[in-house]
Amino acid sequence: MPAAGTFGYGSEYASFLDLNRLGAIIVKTLTLRPRMGSFPHRSTETSSGWLASIGLQNVGMERFIEEKLPFFETIGTSLIVSLGGETIEEYVELAHRVNREKRIDAIELNVSCPNVKKGGMHFGTDPEIMKVLVPAVRQATDKILIIKLSPMVPDIRVFAEISQQSGADAISLINSPVGLAIDIEKTRSKLGRNITGGLAGPAIKPLALYLVWQVYKAVDIPVIGVGGISSAEDAIEFFIAGASAIQIGTYQFIDPTVTLNVLEGIEVYLRRKRIDRLSSLIGSLEG
Amino acid sequence: MQKAPGSLSEILGNENISQNYYALSFKVNLLPIPKPGQFYQIRCSDSNDPLLRRPFSFHRLVQNGTTHHLEILYRVIGKGTEWLSKKKKGEVLDLLGPFGNGFVNEEGMEPLVLVARGIGIAPLYGFAEEALRKDKRRKILILIGARLKERILYEKECRKLGRVFTYTDDGSQGFHGRAPELLCHLLKNGKLADKFSLYACGPAAMLKELAEITKRLNIPGQVALQDHFGCGFGACLSCACPLKPDSIKRDPSWQKPALQWSEDRSRAYSLICKDGPVFDLQEIDWEEWLA
Repeated sequence: MPAAGTFGYGSEYASFLDLNRLGAIIVKTLTLRPRMGSFPHRSTETSSGWLASIGLQNVGMERFIEEKLPFFETIGTSLIVSLGGETIEEYVELAHRVNREKRIDAIELNVSCPNVKKGGMHFGTDPEIMKVLVPAVRQATDKILIIKLSPMVPDIRVFAEISQQSGADAISLINSPVGLAIDIEKTRSKLGRNITGGLAGPAIKPLALYLVWQVYKAVDIPVIGVGGISSAEDAIEFFIAGASAIQIGTYQFIDPTVTLNVLEGIEVYLRRKRIDRLSSLIGSLEG
Repeated sequence: MQKAPGSLSEILGNENISQNYYALSFKVNLLPIPKPGQFYQIRCSDSNDPLLRRPFSFHRLVQNGTTHHLEILYRVIGKGTEWLSKKKKGEVLDLLGPFGNGFVNEEGMEPLVLVARGIGIAPLYGFAEEALRKDKRRKILILIGARLKERILYEKECRKLGRVFTYTDDGSQGFHGRAPELLCHLLKNGKLADKFSLYACGPAAMLKELAEITKRLNIPGQVALQDHFGCGFGACLSCACPLKPDSIKRDPSWQKPALQWSEDRSRAYSLICKDGPVFDLQEIDWEEWLA
Protein backbone atom coordinates (compact mmCIF):
# COMPACT_ATOMS: atom_id res chain seq x y z
CA MET A 1 0.00 0.00 0.00
CA PRO A 2 1.14 3.58 -0.54
CA ALA A 3 2.41 5.36 2.58
CA ALA A 4 0.70 8.40 4.10
CA GLY A 5 1.92 11.72 2.78
CA THR A 6 3.24 10.34 -0.48
CA PHE A 7 -0.03 9.55 -2.22
CA GLY A 8 -1.94 12.81 -1.79
CA TYR A 9 -5.66 12.06 -1.53
CA GLY A 10 -5.46 9.16 -3.98
CA SER A 11 -6.75 10.83 -7.13
CA GLU A 12 -3.28 12.30 -7.83
CA TYR A 13 -2.21 8.80 -8.94
CA ALA A 14 -5.35 7.80 -10.82
CA SER A 15 -3.81 8.52 -14.22
CA PHE A 16 -0.78 6.33 -13.47
CA LEU A 17 -2.28 3.10 -12.18
CA ASP A 18 -5.45 1.18 -11.44
CA LEU A 19 -5.98 2.07 -7.79
CA ASN A 20 -8.16 -1.02 -7.32
CA ARG A 21 -5.06 -3.17 -7.47
CA LEU A 22 -3.60 -1.70 -4.29
CA GLY A 23 -4.10 -3.46 -0.95
CA ALA A 24 -5.14 -0.19 0.65
CA ILE A 25 -4.65 3.54 0.25
CA ILE A 26 -3.50 5.76 3.09
CA VAL A 27 -4.25 9.40 2.47
CA LYS A 28 -2.21 12.38 3.60
CA THR A 29 -2.48 13.00 7.35
CA LEU A 30 -5.64 14.88 8.25
CA THR A 31 -5.96 17.38 11.06
CA LEU A 32 -9.09 18.88 12.58
CA ARG A 33 -8.60 22.24 10.89
CA PRO A 34 -6.86 22.88 7.55
CA ARG A 35 -3.12 23.40 7.86
CA MET A 36 -0.85 25.48 5.65
CA GLY A 37 2.16 23.40 6.58
CA SER A 38 5.82 24.38 6.59
CA PHE A 39 7.42 27.43 4.99
CA PRO A 40 8.29 27.26 1.27
CA HIS A 41 11.49 25.50 0.16
CA ARG A 42 10.38 22.36 1.87
CA SER A 43 12.57 19.65 0.45
CA THR A 44 16.00 18.72 -0.77
CA GLU A 45 17.75 15.57 -1.86
CA THR A 46 20.47 13.88 0.19
CA SER A 47 22.39 10.69 -0.66
CA SER A 48 19.67 8.21 -1.65
CA GLY A 49 17.27 10.20 0.47
CA TRP A 50 14.58 12.85 0.34
CA LEU A 51 14.70 15.33 3.20
CA ALA A 52 11.42 17.18 3.53
CA SER A 53 9.37 19.28 5.88
CA ILE A 54 5.79 19.46 4.64
CA GLY A 55 4.44 20.17 8.10
CA LEU A 56 1.16 18.30 7.62
CA GLN A 57 -0.28 20.65 5.02
CA ASN A 58 -3.79 19.30 4.50
CA VAL A 59 -7.35 20.40 3.76
CA GLY A 60 -8.68 19.45 7.21
CA MET A 61 -11.11 16.69 8.12
CA GLU A 62 -14.35 18.37 7.04
CA ARG A 63 -13.15 19.35 3.57
CA PHE A 64 -11.65 15.89 3.14
CA ILE A 65 -15.01 14.30 3.85
CA GLU A 66 -16.85 16.77 1.65
CA GLU A 67 -14.47 17.04 -1.31
CA LYS A 68 -12.05 14.11 -1.33
CA LEU A 69 -13.99 11.20 0.12
CA PRO A 70 -16.53 10.95 -2.76
CA PHE A 71 -13.65 9.96 -5.09
CA PHE A 72 -13.23 6.77 -3.07
CA GLU A 73 -16.78 5.74 -3.93
CA THR A 74 -15.48 5.22 -7.48
CA ILE A 75 -12.90 2.63 -6.40
CA GLY A 76 -13.08 -0.45 -4.18
CA THR A 77 -9.72 -0.21 -2.44
CA SER A 78 -9.63 -0.19 1.37
CA LEU A 79 -9.21 3.32 2.69
CA ILE A 80 -7.03 4.22 5.65
CA VAL A 81 -6.96 7.77 6.95
CA SER A 82 -3.91 9.07 8.75
CA LEU A 83 -4.81 11.35 11.67
CA GLY A 84 -2.73 14.06 13.32
CA GLY A 85 -3.67 16.16 16.33
CA GLU A 86 -2.12 18.93 18.36
CA THR A 87 -3.78 17.66 21.55
CA ILE A 88 -5.13 14.33 22.78
CA GLU A 89 -8.62 15.81 22.54
CA GLU A 90 -8.09 16.60 18.85
CA TYR A 91 -7.04 13.03 18.09
CA VAL A 92 -10.15 11.77 19.89
CA GLU A 93 -12.42 14.19 18.05
CA LEU A 94 -10.92 13.14 14.71
CA ALA A 95 -11.42 9.47 15.54
CA HIS A 96 -15.06 10.14 16.47
CA ARG A 97 -15.61 11.92 13.19
CA VAL A 98 -14.00 9.13 11.15
CA ASN A 99 -16.15 6.59 12.93
CA ARG A 100 -19.25 8.04 11.25
CA GLU A 101 -17.85 7.48 7.74
CA LYS A 102 -18.66 4.04 6.35
CA ARG A 103 -16.22 4.35 3.44
CA ILE A 104 -13.22 4.64 5.78
CA ASP A 105 -11.89 1.24 6.85
CA ALA A 106 -9.08 2.10 9.20
CA ILE A 107 -7.17 4.81 11.03
CA GLU A 108 -3.41 5.20 11.05
CA LEU A 109 -2.53 7.36 14.03
CA ASN A 110 0.31 9.69 13.12
CA VAL A 111 2.02 10.23 16.46
CA SER A 112 5.37 10.54 14.75
CA CYS A 113 5.38 13.48 12.32
CA PRO A 114 8.84 15.07 12.66
CA ASN A 115 7.81 18.47 11.25
CA VAL A 116 5.18 19.97 13.57
CA LYS A 117 5.65 22.03 16.72
CA LYS A 118 2.70 20.53 18.63
CA GLY A 119 1.63 16.91 18.74
CA GLY A 120 3.28 14.70 16.14
CA MET A 121 6.57 13.20 17.19
CA HIS A 122 6.37 14.88 20.60
CA PHE A 123 3.49 12.53 21.45
CA GLY A 124 4.96 9.44 19.84
CA THR A 125 8.25 9.74 21.71
CA ASP A 126 6.70 10.12 25.17
CA PRO A 127 5.47 6.81 26.67
CA GLU A 128 3.30 8.57 29.27
CA ILE A 129 1.38 10.49 26.61
CA MET A 130 1.03 7.35 24.49
CA LYS A 131 -0.49 5.50 27.46
CA VAL A 132 -3.29 8.08 27.54
CA LEU A 133 -3.60 8.88 23.85
CA VAL A 134 -3.90 5.41 22.33
CA PRO A 135 -6.59 4.10 24.74
CA ALA A 136 -8.55 7.35 24.29
CA VAL A 137 -8.57 6.97 20.50
CA ARG A 138 -9.35 3.26 20.83
CA GLN A 139 -12.45 4.18 22.83
CA ALA A 140 -13.53 6.70 20.22
CA THR A 141 -13.59 4.36 17.24
CA ASP A 142 -14.32 0.81 16.23
CA LYS A 143 -12.40 1.17 12.98
CA ILE A 144 -9.17 -0.79 12.59
CA LEU A 145 -6.55 1.20 14.51
CA ILE A 146 -2.93 1.33 13.36
CA ILE A 147 -0.29 3.26 15.30
CA LYS A 148 2.56 4.70 13.24
CA LEU A 149 5.73 4.84 15.30
CA SER A 150 8.69 7.21 15.25
CA PRO A 151 12.24 5.88 15.07
CA MET A 152 13.45 8.81 17.22
CA VAL A 153 13.27 6.85 20.50
CA PRO A 154 15.79 4.85 22.52
CA ASP A 155 13.68 1.67 22.55
CA ILE A 156 10.87 1.44 20.03
CA ARG A 157 9.56 -1.78 21.60
CA VAL A 158 8.22 0.24 24.56
CA PHE A 159 5.95 2.17 22.20
CA ALA A 160 4.89 -0.95 20.34
CA GLU A 161 3.94 -2.65 23.60
CA ILE A 162 1.96 0.36 24.80
CA SER A 163 0.09 0.38 21.47
CA GLN A 164 -0.72 -3.31 21.76
CA GLN A 165 -1.84 -3.05 25.39
CA SER A 166 -4.01 -0.06 24.49
CA GLY A 167 -5.98 -2.03 21.95
CA ALA A 168 -4.30 -1.08 18.67
CA ASP A 169 -4.89 -3.58 15.86
CA ALA A 170 -1.55 -3.08 14.13
CA ILE A 171 1.65 -1.05 14.19
CA SER A 172 3.27 0.66 11.25
CA LEU A 173 6.87 1.78 11.24
CA ILE A 174 8.87 3.80 10.64
CA ASN A 175 7.88 7.40 10.23
CA SER A 176 10.75 9.61 9.05
CA PRO A 177 13.76 10.16 11.26
CA VAL A 178 14.73 13.83 11.61
CA GLY A 179 17.52 15.12 9.41
CA LEU A 180 19.41 18.27 8.46
CA ALA A 181 21.21 19.38 5.29
CA ILE A 182 23.27 22.58 5.20
CA ASP A 183 24.14 24.96 2.39
CA ILE A 184 27.76 25.71 3.30
CA GLU A 185 27.92 28.86 1.15
CA LYS A 186 24.98 30.47 2.93
CA THR A 187 25.57 28.69 6.29
CA ARG A 188 21.86 28.04 6.16
CA SER A 189 19.70 24.93 6.18
CA LYS A 190 18.80 23.67 2.72
CA LEU A 191 15.22 23.66 4.03
CA GLY A 192 15.42 27.40 4.79
CA ARG A 193 13.39 28.56 7.76
CA ASN A 194 12.13 25.02 8.34
CA ILE A 195 15.71 24.04 9.26
CA THR A 196 15.04 20.32 9.79
CA GLY A 197 13.03 17.74 7.89
CA GLY A 198 12.09 14.10 7.87
CA LEU A 199 14.44 11.81 5.98
CA ALA A 200 12.82 9.34 3.60
CA GLY A 201 13.82 7.14 0.71
CA PRO A 202 16.27 4.22 0.33
CA ALA A 203 18.72 5.84 2.78
CA ILE A 204 16.51 4.86 5.75
CA LYS A 205 15.78 1.26 4.74
CA PRO A 206 18.31 -0.51 7.01
CA LEU A 207 17.06 1.47 10.02
CA ALA A 208 13.42 0.70 9.21
CA LEU A 209 14.16 -2.97 8.65
CA TYR A 210 15.98 -3.29 11.96
CA LEU A 211 13.17 -1.60 13.88
CA VAL A 212 10.50 -3.74 12.19
CA TRP A 213 12.42 -6.83 13.29
CA GLN A 214 12.65 -5.48 16.86
CA VAL A 215 8.95 -4.70 17.05
CA TYR A 216 7.93 -7.99 15.42
CA LYS A 217 9.66 -9.87 18.23
CA ALA A 218 8.08 -7.67 20.92
CA VAL A 219 4.38 -7.75 20.02
CA ASP A 220 1.74 -10.16 18.69
CA ILE A 221 -0.28 -7.71 16.58
CA PRO A 222 0.64 -7.31 12.89
CA VAL A 223 3.49 -5.03 11.91
CA ILE A 224 3.38 -2.93 8.74
CA GLY A 225 6.83 -2.17 7.39
CA VAL A 226 7.63 1.17 5.78
CA GLY A 227 10.85 3.00 5.03
CA GLY A 228 12.92 3.12 1.86
CA ILE A 229 11.24 0.34 -0.10
CA SER A 230 11.83 0.66 -3.84
CA SER A 231 11.69 -2.91 -5.13
CA ALA A 232 10.21 -6.37 -4.54
CA GLU A 233 13.54 -7.42 -2.99
CA ASP A 234 13.25 -4.61 -0.44
CA ALA A 235 9.67 -5.59 0.35
CA ILE A 236 10.63 -9.26 0.81
CA GLU A 237 13.33 -8.23 3.28
CA PHE A 238 10.63 -6.54 5.35
CA PHE A 239 8.42 -9.67 5.29
CA ILE A 240 11.35 -11.80 6.42
CA ALA A 241 12.06 -9.30 9.22
CA GLY A 242 8.47 -9.67 10.44
CA ALA A 243 6.22 -7.30 8.50
CA SER A 244 2.76 -8.60 7.59
CA ALA A 245 2.28 -5.84 5.05
CA ILE A 246 4.36 -3.06 3.57
CA GLN A 247 3.94 0.55 2.54
CA ILE A 248 5.85 2.35 -0.18
CA GLY A 249 6.43 6.09 0.08
CA THR A 250 9.04 8.23 -1.63
CA TYR A 251 9.83 5.82 -4.45
CA GLN A 252 6.39 6.44 -5.91
CA PHE A 253 7.64 9.91 -6.89
CA ILE A 254 10.27 8.27 -9.06
CA ASP A 255 8.04 5.48 -10.34
CA PRO A 256 4.34 6.13 -9.67
CA THR A 257 3.60 2.48 -10.53
CA VAL A 258 6.25 0.99 -8.23
CA THR A 259 3.56 -0.50 -5.95
CA LEU A 260 2.28 -2.72 -8.77
CA ASN A 261 5.80 -3.68 -9.87
CA VAL A 262 6.60 -4.71 -6.30
CA LEU A 263 3.44 -6.85 -6.17
CA GLU A 264 4.47 -8.67 -9.33
CA GLY A 265 8.03 -9.10 -8.10
CA ILE A 266 6.82 -10.64 -4.84
CA GLU A 267 4.72 -13.16 -6.80
CA VAL A 268 7.72 -14.11 -8.94
CA TYR A 269 9.85 -14.61 -5.82
CA LEU A 270 7.21 -16.78 -4.12
CA ARG A 271 6.89 -18.97 -7.23
CA ARG A 272 10.65 -19.31 -7.61
CA LYS A 273 11.04 -20.27 -3.94
CA ARG A 274 7.96 -22.53 -4.13
CA ILE A 275 6.33 -20.69 -1.23
CA ASP A 276 2.54 -21.17 -1.25
CA ARG A 277 1.59 -18.43 1.13
CA LEU A 278 3.28 -15.11 1.86
CA SER A 279 2.42 -15.61 5.53
CA SER A 280 4.99 -18.39 5.84
CA LEU A 281 7.66 -15.83 4.95
CA ILE A 282 6.72 -13.38 7.70
CA GLY A 283 9.31 -13.26 10.45
CA SER A 284 11.32 -16.08 8.89
CA LEU A 285 14.68 -14.43 9.57
CA GLU A 286 17.06 -17.12 10.75
CA GLY A 287 19.26 -16.96 13.81
CA MET B 1 -8.33 4.94 -16.60
CA GLN B 2 -6.64 7.73 -18.54
CA LYS B 3 -3.25 7.11 -20.06
CA ALA B 4 -0.26 7.61 -17.81
CA PRO B 5 1.51 10.88 -18.61
CA GLY B 6 4.91 9.40 -19.17
CA SER B 7 6.99 7.13 -21.32
CA LEU B 8 10.36 5.94 -22.45
CA SER B 9 11.52 8.12 -25.30
CA GLU B 10 14.38 7.68 -27.72
CA ILE B 11 17.14 10.25 -27.48
CA LEU B 12 17.89 11.86 -30.85
CA GLY B 13 20.76 14.05 -29.71
CA ASN B 14 22.48 15.41 -26.61
CA GLU B 15 24.79 18.21 -27.60
CA ASN B 16 27.15 20.32 -25.51
CA ILE B 17 26.24 23.79 -26.82
CA SER B 18 28.60 25.93 -24.72
CA GLN B 19 30.40 25.70 -21.39
CA ASN B 20 28.31 23.29 -19.30
CA TYR B 21 25.08 23.85 -21.24
CA TYR B 22 23.47 21.02 -23.21
CA ALA B 23 20.57 20.62 -25.63
CA LEU B 24 18.84 17.26 -25.56
CA SER B 25 16.30 16.22 -28.17
CA PHE B 26 13.97 13.24 -27.99
CA LYS B 27 11.08 11.59 -29.80
CA VAL B 28 7.58 12.17 -28.52
CA ASN B 29 5.25 9.97 -30.52
CA LEU B 30 3.00 9.03 -27.64
CA LEU B 31 3.06 12.17 -25.60
CA PRO B 32 0.81 15.20 -25.57
CA ILE B 33 2.51 18.19 -27.19
CA PRO B 34 3.64 20.42 -24.34
CA LYS B 35 3.16 24.16 -23.98
CA PRO B 36 6.18 26.40 -23.35
CA GLY B 37 6.48 26.75 -19.58
CA GLN B 38 5.42 23.17 -18.89
CA PHE B 39 8.03 20.72 -17.64
CA TYR B 40 9.08 17.08 -17.67
CA GLN B 41 10.25 14.99 -14.74
CA ILE B 42 13.24 13.07 -16.07
CA ARG B 43 14.98 10.17 -14.40
CA CYS B 44 18.68 11.07 -14.19
CA SER B 45 20.04 7.93 -12.61
CA ASP B 46 20.50 4.16 -12.92
CA SER B 47 20.59 3.77 -9.15
CA ASN B 48 19.16 5.36 -6.01
CA ASP B 49 21.73 8.15 -5.99
CA PRO B 50 20.71 10.55 -7.39
CA LEU B 51 17.26 9.47 -6.37
CA LEU B 52 14.47 11.81 -7.45
CA ARG B 53 13.57 12.77 -10.98
CA ARG B 54 14.76 16.21 -12.07
CA PRO B 55 12.42 18.82 -13.56
CA PHE B 56 13.32 20.28 -16.97
CA SER B 57 11.41 22.96 -18.83
CA PHE B 58 10.18 22.02 -22.24
CA HIS B 59 12.38 24.13 -24.51
CA ARG B 60 11.08 23.81 -28.05
CA LEU B 61 9.19 21.75 -30.55
CA VAL B 62 11.05 20.94 -33.77
CA GLN B 63 9.02 19.89 -36.78
CA ASN B 64 10.50 18.10 -39.78
CA GLY B 65 7.73 17.51 -42.28
CA THR B 66 5.32 15.14 -40.61
CA THR B 67 7.57 14.16 -37.71
CA HIS B 68 8.46 16.25 -34.73
CA HIS B 69 10.64 16.04 -31.68
CA LEU B 70 11.12 17.96 -28.45
CA GLU B 71 14.13 19.63 -26.95
CA ILE B 72 15.17 20.53 -23.44
CA LEU B 73 18.09 22.77 -22.49
CA TYR B 74 20.02 22.15 -19.32
CA ARG B 75 23.10 23.15 -17.42
CA VAL B 76 25.22 20.54 -15.68
CA ILE B 77 25.08 21.52 -12.01
CA GLY B 78 25.11 18.26 -10.08
CA LYS B 79 25.07 14.48 -10.13
CA GLY B 80 21.75 14.23 -12.00
CA THR B 81 22.58 16.58 -14.85
CA GLU B 82 26.12 15.12 -15.03
CA TRP B 83 24.55 11.68 -15.59
CA LEU B 84 22.17 13.10 -18.19
CA SER B 85 25.00 14.78 -20.10
CA LYS B 86 26.54 11.36 -20.77
CA LYS B 87 23.45 9.93 -22.46
CA LYS B 88 23.89 9.32 -26.17
CA LYS B 89 21.78 9.27 -29.29
CA GLY B 90 19.71 6.08 -29.47
CA GLU B 91 19.58 5.62 -25.70
CA VAL B 92 16.32 5.83 -23.83
CA LEU B 93 15.00 8.72 -21.74
CA ASP B 94 12.58 7.90 -18.89
CA LEU B 95 10.25 10.85 -18.49
CA LEU B 96 6.96 11.82 -16.91
CA GLY B 97 4.96 14.78 -18.15
CA PRO B 98 4.39 17.31 -19.46
CA PHE B 99 3.16 18.81 -16.20
CA GLY B 100 1.96 22.23 -15.10
CA ASN B 101 0.66 25.32 -16.87
CA GLY B 102 2.29 27.04 -19.82
CA PHE B 103 2.84 30.71 -20.62
CA VAL B 104 -0.17 32.53 -21.99
CA ASN B 105 0.27 34.96 -24.84
CA GLU B 106 -1.12 38.35 -23.78
CA GLU B 107 -2.93 39.41 -26.93
CA GLY B 108 -2.69 43.06 -27.84
CA MET B 109 0.13 43.79 -25.42
CA GLU B 110 2.99 44.36 -27.86
CA PRO B 111 5.86 43.82 -27.78
CA LEU B 112 6.45 40.56 -25.95
CA VAL B 113 9.43 41.23 -23.68
CA LEU B 114 11.27 38.10 -22.60
CA VAL B 115 13.67 38.39 -19.67
CA ALA B 116 16.02 35.53 -18.92
CA ARG B 117 19.14 34.87 -16.98
CA GLY B 118 21.36 31.91 -17.94
CA ILE B 119 19.39 28.73 -18.54
CA GLY B 120 16.17 30.71 -17.94
CA ILE B 121 15.99 31.26 -21.69
CA ALA B 122 14.95 27.59 -22.15
CA PRO B 123 11.15 27.96 -21.77
CA LEU B 124 11.05 31.55 -23.07
CA TYR B 125 12.65 30.69 -26.39
CA GLY B 126 9.98 28.08 -27.13
CA PHE B 127 7.31 30.55 -26.09
CA ALA B 128 8.64 33.15 -28.57
CA GLU B 129 8.78 30.56 -31.35
CA GLU B 130 5.20 29.56 -30.64
CA ALA B 131 4.05 33.19 -30.67
CA LEU B 132 5.73 33.70 -34.05
CA ARG B 133 4.23 30.50 -35.46
CA LYS B 134 0.78 31.89 -34.67
CA ASP B 135 1.55 35.39 -35.92
CA LYS B 136 4.91 36.01 -37.58
CA ARG B 137 4.53 39.78 -37.15
CA ARG B 138 4.62 39.58 -33.34
CA LYS B 139 7.23 42.00 -32.01
CA ILE B 140 9.60 40.33 -29.60
CA LEU B 141 12.31 41.81 -27.38
CA ILE B 142 14.66 39.46 -25.60
CA LEU B 143 16.84 40.39 -22.62
CA ILE B 144 19.42 37.72 -21.91
CA GLY B 145 22.38 37.80 -19.63
CA ALA B 146 24.54 36.15 -17.06
CA ARG B 147 27.36 36.78 -14.62
CA LEU B 148 29.89 37.02 -17.45
CA LYS B 149 29.76 36.93 -21.24
CA GLU B 150 30.82 33.28 -21.60
CA ARG B 151 27.67 32.29 -19.74
CA ILE B 152 25.29 34.10 -22.07
CA LEU B 153 23.30 31.40 -23.73
CA TYR B 154 21.52 31.30 -27.06
CA GLU B 155 22.28 34.83 -28.20
CA LYS B 156 22.54 33.90 -31.89
CA GLU B 157 19.35 31.83 -31.81
CA CYS B 158 17.45 34.59 -30.02
CA ARG B 159 18.41 37.09 -32.72
CA LYS B 160 16.36 35.02 -35.18
CA LEU B 161 13.24 35.68 -33.12
CA GLY B 162 13.47 39.33 -32.23
CA ARG B 163 15.55 42.18 -30.97
CA VAL B 164 18.13 41.08 -28.40
CA PHE B 165 19.72 43.05 -25.56
CA THR B 166 22.42 41.40 -23.50
CA TYR B 167 23.58 42.17 -19.97
CA THR B 168 26.37 40.93 -17.73
CA ASP B 169 27.10 41.45 -14.05
CA ASP B 170 30.75 42.22 -14.81
CA GLY B 171 30.09 44.34 -17.88
CA SER B 172 32.02 41.96 -20.17
CA GLN B 173 29.21 42.11 -22.71
CA GLY B 174 26.23 44.36 -23.33
CA PHE B 175 24.65 46.30 -20.51
CA HIS B 176 26.72 46.38 -17.31
CA GLY B 177 24.22 45.35 -14.67
CA ARG B 178 21.29 43.07 -14.06
CA ALA B 179 18.12 42.45 -16.04
CA PRO B 180 15.72 44.73 -14.10
CA GLU B 181 18.25 47.58 -14.44
CA LEU B 182 18.53 46.95 -18.17
CA LEU B 183 14.75 46.99 -18.48
CA CYS B 184 14.58 50.36 -16.66
CA HIS B 185 17.41 51.66 -18.85
CA LEU B 186 15.50 50.70 -22.02
CA LEU B 187 12.35 52.39 -20.74
CA LYS B 188 14.21 55.52 -19.78
CA ASN B 189 15.93 55.79 -23.14
CA GLY B 190 12.80 55.29 -25.14
CA LYS B 191 13.92 51.96 -26.61
CA LEU B 192 10.82 50.45 -25.08
CA ALA B 193 7.41 52.07 -24.71
CA ASP B 194 5.71 51.58 -21.36
CA LYS B 195 3.06 49.27 -22.78
CA PHE B 196 4.19 45.68 -23.30
CA SER B 197 3.83 42.23 -21.78
CA LEU B 198 6.65 40.56 -19.91
CA TYR B 199 7.66 36.90 -19.56
CA ALA B 200 10.51 35.93 -17.28
CA CYS B 201 12.56 33.02 -16.02
CA GLY B 202 15.56 33.28 -13.73
CA PRO B 203 16.61 33.78 -10.11
CA ALA B 204 13.98 34.85 -7.58
CA ALA B 205 15.61 38.18 -6.74
CA MET B 206 15.42 39.19 -10.43
CA LEU B 207 11.81 38.08 -10.67
CA LYS B 208 10.84 40.08 -7.60
CA GLU B 209 12.25 43.26 -9.13
CA LEU B 210 10.50 42.55 -12.42
CA ALA B 211 7.24 42.15 -10.50
CA GLU B 212 7.76 45.61 -8.99
CA ILE B 213 8.46 47.19 -12.39
CA THR B 214 5.46 45.61 -14.12
CA LYS B 215 3.23 46.59 -11.22
CA ARG B 216 4.39 50.19 -11.46
CA LEU B 217 3.73 50.23 -15.22
CA ASN B 218 0.49 48.29 -14.79
CA ILE B 219 1.39 45.78 -17.49
CA PRO B 220 0.93 42.02 -17.48
CA GLY B 221 3.82 39.74 -16.59
CA GLN B 222 4.28 36.03 -16.23
CA VAL B 223 7.04 33.99 -14.68
CA ALA B 224 8.18 30.36 -14.72
CA LEU B 225 9.24 29.45 -11.19
CA GLN B 226 11.46 26.64 -9.98
CA ASP B 227 12.01 24.77 -6.72
CA HIS B 228 13.07 21.31 -5.57
CA PHE B 229 10.31 18.90 -6.45
CA GLY B 230 9.59 15.58 -4.78
CA CYS B 231 7.12 14.23 -7.32
CA GLY B 232 6.18 16.94 -9.84
CA PHE B 233 2.53 15.92 -10.00
CA GLY B 234 0.94 17.33 -6.87
CA ALA B 235 1.26 14.43 -4.43
CA CYS B 236 4.14 15.35 -2.11
CA LEU B 237 3.25 19.02 -1.45
CA SER B 238 6.91 20.04 -1.19
CA CYS B 239 6.86 22.83 -3.80
CA ALA B 240 4.62 25.23 -1.86
CA CYS B 241 4.60 28.70 -3.34
CA PRO B 242 3.20 31.65 -1.34
CA LEU B 243 0.60 33.69 -3.21
CA LYS B 244 -0.90 37.07 -2.37
CA PRO B 245 -4.56 36.21 -1.83
CA ASP B 246 -5.79 39.57 -3.15
CA SER B 247 -3.69 39.38 -6.34
CA ILE B 248 -4.53 35.90 -7.58
CA LYS B 249 -4.98 36.06 -11.33
CA ARG B 250 -5.56 32.85 -13.21
CA ASP B 251 -5.76 32.38 -16.93
CA PRO B 252 -8.78 30.25 -17.88
CA SER B 253 -6.43 27.70 -19.50
CA TRP B 254 -4.54 27.21 -16.23
CA GLN B 255 -5.57 24.64 -13.67
CA LYS B 256 -7.75 25.87 -10.89
CA PRO B 257 -5.31 26.20 -8.02
CA ALA B 258 -5.60 23.88 -5.04
CA LEU B 259 -4.88 26.72 -2.65
CA GLN B 260 -4.14 25.98 0.96
CA TRP B 261 -5.32 28.99 2.95
CA SER B 262 -4.23 30.12 6.38
CA GLU B 263 -7.06 30.02 8.93
CA ASP B 264 -7.62 33.78 8.74
CA ARG B 265 -7.43 33.59 4.92
CA SER B 266 -4.70 36.24 4.85
CA ARG B 267 -2.14 33.88 3.29
CA ALA B 268 -2.31 31.08 0.72
CA TYR B 269 0.06 28.47 -0.64
CA SER B 270 -0.20 26.92 -4.06
CA LEU B 271 1.90 24.18 -5.63
CA ILE B 272 4.48 25.12 -8.24
CA CYS B 273 4.19 21.78 -10.04
CA LYS B 274 0.41 21.86 -10.47
CA ASP B 275 -0.71 25.49 -10.17
CA GLY B 276 2.49 26.76 -11.84
CA PRO B 277 5.25 26.65 -12.79
CA VAL B 278 3.98 29.68 -14.71
CA PHE B 279 2.40 32.29 -12.46
CA ASP B 280 1.31 35.85 -12.92
CA LEU B 281 4.17 38.01 -11.56
CA GLN B 282 1.77 39.77 -9.19
CA GLU B 283 0.35 36.57 -7.71
CA ILE B 284 3.50 35.60 -5.87
CA ASP B 285 4.35 36.84 -2.39
CA TRP B 286 8.00 37.53 -3.19
CA GLU B 287 8.95 38.59 0.35
CA GLU B 288 7.77 35.25 1.65
CA TRP B 289 9.33 33.33 -1.24
CA LEU B 290 12.73 34.97 -0.69
CA ALA B 291 12.65 34.76 3.15
